[in-house]
Amino acid sequence: MTANDPNTRQNPHDLPPTGESAAKGPAAAGKKIAWVREPELGMAGRSYLMLFLQGLRTTLRHLLSRKTTVQSPEQRHVVPDPLIYRGVHRLNRDAQGRVKCVACFLCATACPAHCIDIVPAESPWPDRQKYPQSFTIDELRCIFCGMCEEACPVQAIELTSLYDLSGKSREEMVFDKAKLLSVFDQTKDAEPMTKGTGTFFGLPVSNEGTPGPAEK
Amino acid sequence: MATIYIDNQPYVVKDGQNLLRACLSLGFNLPYFCWHPAMNSVGACRQCAVKQFKDEKDTKGRIVMACMTLAADGTRISIDDPEVRRFRAGVIEFLMVNHPHDCPVCDEGGECHLQDMTVMTGHNYRRFRFRKRTHRNQELGPLVNHEMNRCIACYRCLRFYRDYAGGRDFDVFQWHNYVYFGRQSDGVLENEFSGNLVEVCPTGVFTDKTLKGHYTRKWDLQTAPSICVHCGLGCNTIPGERYGILRRIRNRYHREVNGYFLCDRGRYGYEFVNSPRRIRQPIFRSERSGAAQPVEKQAALEQAAKILGSGERVIGIGSSRASLEANFALRTLVGADRFYRGLAEAECRLLDTAIALLRDGPAPAASMSDAAQSDAVLVLGEDLTNTAPMLAYSVRQSTLQREIGLTKRLHVSWWDDAAIRQALQERRGPLYIATPAATKLDDVATEVYRAAPDDLVRFAQALAHALGAEIPPVSALPRKLAALADVVAEALYLARRPVVVCGTSSGSESLLRAAGNVAWALSAAEHRGQLCLVLPDCNSFGLGLLGGGSLADACRAIQEGKAETVVVLENDLSRHADQAALKLLDEVRHLVALDYLEHATTAAAELVFPAATFAEANGTLVNNEGRAQRSYQVFVPQGKTQASWRWLQEMMVAVGRQAEASWRSFDEITAALAEALPIFAAVKDIAPPEGFRMAGQRVPRQPHRYSGRTAMHAQADVHEPTPLADPDSPLSFSMEGSQRQPPPPLVPRFWAPGWNSMQAITRFQEEVNGPLRGGDSGRRLIEPQPDAAIRYFSDLPAEFEPRPDEWLLVPVDHIFGSEELSALSPGIAQLTPAPYLALSASDAAGANIQEGEKVVLAMDGLHQALPVRFLPSLPRGVAGLPVGLPGMMHVTLPGWAKLSKVTAS
Amino acid sequence: MLTDEERHEIEAEAAQYAYKRAAGPEALKIVQRHRRWVSDQSLKDVAVLLEMTPAELDGVATFYNLIFRKPVGRHVILVCDSVTCWVLGYDSVRDYLSRELGVKPGETTADGRFTLLPMVCLGACDRAPVMMVDDTLYGNLTPQKIDEILAGYRAEETA
Repeated sequence: MTANDPNTRQNPHDLPPTGESAAKGPAAAGKKIAWVREPELGMAGRSYLMLFLQGLRTTLRHLLSRKTTVQSPEQRHVVPDPLIYRGVHRLNRDAQGRVKCVACFLCATACPAHCIDIVPAESPWPDRQKYPQSFTIDELRCIFCGMCEEACPVQAIELTSLYDLSGKSREEMVFDKAKLLSVFDQTKDAEPMTKGTGTFFGLPVSNEGTPGPAEK
Repeated sequence: MATIYIDNQPYVVKDGQNLLRACLSLGFNLPYFCWHPAMNSVGACRQCAVKQFKDEKDTKGRIVMACMTLAADGTRISIDDPEVRRFRAGVIEFLMVNHPHDCPVCDEGGECHLQDMTVMTGHNYRRFRFRKRTHRNQELGPLVNHEMNRCIACYRCLRFYRDYAGGRDFDVFQWHNYVYFGRQSDGVLENEFSGNLVEVCPTGVFTDKTLKGHYTRKWDLQTAPSICVHCGLGCNTIPGERYGILRRIRNRYHREVNGYFLCDRGRYGYEFVNSPRRIRQPIFRSERSGAAQPVEKQAALEQAAKILGSGERVIGIGSSRASLEANFALRTLVGADRFYRGLAEAECRLLDTAIALLRDGPAPAASMSDAAQSDAVLVLGEDLTNTAPMLAYSVRQSTLQREIGLTKRLHVSWWDDAAIRQALQERRGPLYIATPAATKLDDVATEVYRAAPDDLVRFAQALAHALGAEIPPVSALPRKLAALADVVAEALYLARRPVVVCGTSSGSESLLRAAGNVAWALSAAEHRGQLCLVLPDCNSFGLGLLGGGSLADACRAIQEGKAETVVVLENDLSRHADQAALKLLDEVRHLVALDYLEHATTAAAELVFPAATFAEANGTLVNNEGRAQRSYQVFVPQGKTQASWRWLQEMMVAVGRQAEASWRSFDEITAALAEALPIFAAVKDIAPPEGFRMAGQRVPRQPHRYSGRTAMHAQADVHEPTPLADPDSPLSFSMEGSQRQPPPPLVPRFWAPGWNSMQAITRFQEEVNGPLRGGDSGRRLIEPQPDAAIRYFSDLPAEFEPRPDEWLLVPVDHIFGSEELSALSPGIAQLTPAPYLALSASDAAGANIQEGEKVVLAMDGLHQALPVRFLPSLPRGVAGLPVGLPGMMHVTLPGWAKLSKVTAS
Repeated sequence: MLTDEERHEIEAEAAQYAYKRAAGPEALKIVQRHRRWVSDQSLKDVAVLLEMTPAELDGVATFYNLIFRKPVGRHVILVCDSVTCWVLGYDSVRDYLSRELGVKPGETTADGRFTLLPMVCLGACDRAPVMMVDDTLYGNLTPQKIDEILAGYRAEETA
C-alpha cells in the first residue's frame, strides 16, 4: 500500500494546508467538474456594429446631460449623502465625551493599507476593559476603503464627508487620537452618529454609554 | 493498522485510537471542545458528532461522538452528512446561549477555539434573545485572569488542573446553567502549572494576566521559536513581541521535551526582558567605584581594546545561562586554559559528575516524554516541582502508566479518560520519592522517605545493591529502610521502563553517583534503566561539556597573579561565589562584564556591555538530557544591545585578532564551535542554516495579518522603515515570506486556515501527539555506552548524626524566586517568598524557637538573620535554607551552621 | 467548630468507604441536620475531617441543591415548578405562598420561620401541584389548603 494509491490515501494533508493543497482536502474529494461552453457569435455579433452604436449612445448622453464639474475651490462640492461618504476619519465620543473605542484592533486588522496603529491600555472606566492609549492613522497611506468603519463593533471610528484633506508636511498627515477626536467635534453636528441603529453582534447598542468622568 | 471509511473514502489509521483522533490526524476539520490531545476523551461536549454506518448498505446511520468511538477496522462514518452537520451547529448554538459574544474586547479573540469551532460548524446567527446568566469573576492572583461569563462548561480546565497537574484548590461548583469553575474563594491559584489554563481553556475564561498589562492580539505579535531559559529542561516556547516589548510566552509543542504545557515560571518569567534594570548602553567607570557613564559603542570597544591589550593575564568567566556560542566566543577571546565556568567549585563538580553519568554509563538520559511514559519512577533528592517543574508534571503522569496497562482487562480504551480515572480511583503506579523535605509530588507517591542527604545516599546504595550492582551491602541500615529498599528495587526491576530521577540541587555528588548505580544496575539487567538528571540552568549541560575551571580556580589564578583582567559573561557572580571570592574579584585590576541586567557584578565592573537576552539573539542551549536546541531571536533590541558573542567578536577585532574571530554571522560561529570542539559537531546541524529558503522566501516572524505596519512608527517618522535584516537565521523581521509550514526548529507560531488557536497544533503534527512534521527538533550531544563495562561507585557516607549545637543546612528550592531571571518579572516577584530559614516544628521546639522568630545563621563567615518558618517534614537536625531568593547570599550547601536567637536590644 | 456528636457521626460514615471523601454528601447532610445549613466554617471543618480541600467539598455541596450554603428558616418550603405542576397551576401556588409569607422565592421570612424555594420535581405528579415542607409532602394544593398547612406550622411553634 503506497501513499500514491488513490484507494487508500493516508493523509490528505501531507502538504501544508495553504491555498491549493487545502482545496484538495477531504471536502473536495468526489466532487464532479461541469464544463461550460461559450456561446458562438452570429453575424451581427461578429461585425461589432451594435457595440459601436451602443458606445456612441453613451457619448451622446454625456454630451447632452447636466455637467457635474464644479469650480473647486471657489465652489464647494456638495456631498449627496454624508453618511455614506468616505472622507477623513473621526473617532467618536460617547455622551460623556469619552472616546468610544474599546481598543479591539478590528479596524487595524481590517485595514488593507496597514495604516492604523492602536496601543491599548487598561481603561480607567468601569464599563469597559480597555481603551486606546494612542490611536494613529496615517492618512497618507489610507486608501479610504471604509473597512475600518465596517469592522468597528462599537461605531467608534467613522469616515466623514471631509474630502479636502491637505497638509504642508507628511508628519501633519499622521492623525493621532486628539486630532481624530477633534474631527468628531468638528463634524458631529453636520453628521450625527448613526444613533440607535447600531448593533453589536446582534444586540442594539446605544451611544449613551454608562456614566463616568469625561476624558480630558 | 485499520482501514476506516470517511464519507466513502478509505483511509488507513493506527489501531486502537478513537475516531476524533484519527480524523484530526488525517487532516479533517472536525470540531471539538472537551477533547484535548494531552487529556484524551470524556465525551462531555457532544461537539465532535459524526454519523456512523453499519455497512455500505446502511443509509440511515446513527450519530455517535467521534472522541468516544473506536476507529475499528471497517468503520464507516460521515462527517459531511447534513443531519450531523445540523447537530453540530445546534450543539454550538446551545453552548453559545450564555456566552457573552464579547470577542472584540476579549483577550482570547482571534486565537479562540470557540470562535474557530463556531465558524467551522456554520452557526452564524444567534436566535437566543433572552437574558444571559452572569457570574462574578474571581481574583486568581497575578498570573491568570478569570472571566467566568465566557465559560461553555467543557471541563477542560478542571481536568487539567486537578487530574493532570494535581492541583486541589480549583474545582467546579453548582450545576446546570450555573456551573462555575474557580476557587472556593478568591486567591492565588496554588498550582505551578496554572498558566496552562490559558491555553487549555477553549475560550476566554482564563487569559494571561501579564499579557493584559501590555495587550496585543496574536496576529500582531512578532514571534520566533525559542527555548525557555528558566531551568535546565529546555522547554520549547514561542515568545511574542511588539513595539520592542516582549508581551508573552506560549508553549511550542515538542514531543520529547515539554509536550503541550509549560510551567508558570517558564510562561511568566519573561518580563525580565522588559525590566527597567536592563542595560541598554555600554557603560564605563573611570574609577571602579565611581559613577557609571554611558559611552558610545566605538569608545567602549576602544576602551576594551586598551584593557584587554595583548591578551596576557586576561581570564574569562562564562555562564550557565549564556548560550553555547557566547561561552565559546569568550573562550576564544581568553584562550581555553584561561576560560572558567563561572560556577562554584561544588557546582562544577556536581555538573561534571552528572554529565559523566550520562556519558560513561549504559543508562540513556530520559527525556520528559520518557519520564511521563515510565511505569516506575524513583526520585532521589530532588524537589522536582521547584527545581524542574515540567519534569514534575511528567512524573505525575507516569504514575498512571502501569495502572492504565492494568485496565486492559476491563476493556476500557486507554483514551477513555473518565472511565480510566473512574476505574483507577486513587490507585497510582510506583513512584518512590526520597528527599530531605516534603515535595508536591508526595500525594501521588507510593512511598516517601525523608532523610538527610547522606542517609539518602545510603538508601540509594542499598537499593543498587538489591538490584545486583557489584557494590557491598549497606551495613547497619534500619530494618524498615532495608525493607523499603527491597520493595523499591522490586518495583523498578519489574517495570518495563524504569526511570531514576536525581539532580544537582541536593548538592550531593554521592547521591548522583548512587542514582547512577541504581540506573546502571537496572540497565545491566536488561538494558532499560533510564536516568533523568536535573541541572540548574538552561545551558548547564552545554557549559559542562565546554569545560573549564571553577570560580575557585579563577580566584586562585588571580591570587597567583596570573590574571589581572577578568571578563565576565552574563553572570552575576554573587550567586555563585562566596564573600571572599567576590572581594578578590572586586580588587582585580580590570573587570569587564557583559550582561542584560544590572546586578552586583555589573555594578562593580569598569566596562559593561549591554548583552541581548534570549529573545534578542540566537543561541544554542543544551538541556538536561544533553539535547542541543536552537533558540531564535524574536526582535531587534533597543539601544546598543547586541548578542554577547558579537560584542566579544568585536572586542577581538578591536585588539587586532581578526583572524581568530572571523565569524561574522551566527552560522559561522556555530561552525567554528563545531570545528574547535568535536563534541559540539552536531550543533551546526540542529536547525536550517541562514541560507535556507522555502520557495525562495524566508520564514516570516510576523503573521500575515500583522496590522499597522505602515503606521506603527509614523509618530516618530512618516517614512516606513525598511524591514530589518537578519544575517543569522532564515527568519525575517517582517510579515513577508513563505506561508508554508517550515521545518520544526523554525516554526514561529501555530496557525492554520480555520485554526487560529493553539489547537492548530494538530495541523503541524505528523499525527496527533506525534512529532512535528519533519521530526523532533534538537539533537542529543552525548549517547550512553550500552556495552561498556560498568564501574559502580562505592560512595558510602556514614549515617547522619544530628549534632547538638549545629544544624545541617540543606537547600530548599522555590519555583518562584530561586531562579535569577524570572524572579525579576513582576508577576513572579509577587509570588516569591521572603528569605527564611526552615526548621521542623519539633526541632524548633527543642531549641525554643517560635515560628516567625528571627535567628542568626552563622556558617563559613556568613551571618544572616532570617525569620524561621516551620517545615514539618524535615528530618531531625536538618534545617532548610531557600536558595537563590532575592536577598539571599550564596552559600555552598549542604553544610553545617550554627543558629542563634536574635536578642531583643 | 464541629461538635463532638457531628464529628463522631461523620467519622462513622467515613469508615464505611474506601476513600474518606466518598462520605462527603453524607457528612454535609449530618452538619445540615444539626445546623440547618452549612456555613463556610463548617465546610472547612468537614473538609479537614475528610482530608479534602474546601474547594473539593464545596464542589459537592453546591452540586446538591438540598445542601444549603446560606442560612434557611426553621421550615423549608419546596414548591415544585416542574412540568406537571406548572400545567396544573404552579404559578398561582407560588404567588399565593409569596404573598402569604411576604417573601420572594429564595428568601426567608423576617421571623426566620419559613424559607421558600422552587424545586424541580418532587416526584408526585399524580397530586400536582405539590410542595414539600421539611420532610412532609403536600399535594393537590389550593389556597385554602396552603393556609391550613402554614397555620399548622405556625401553631406548632407557638404551642
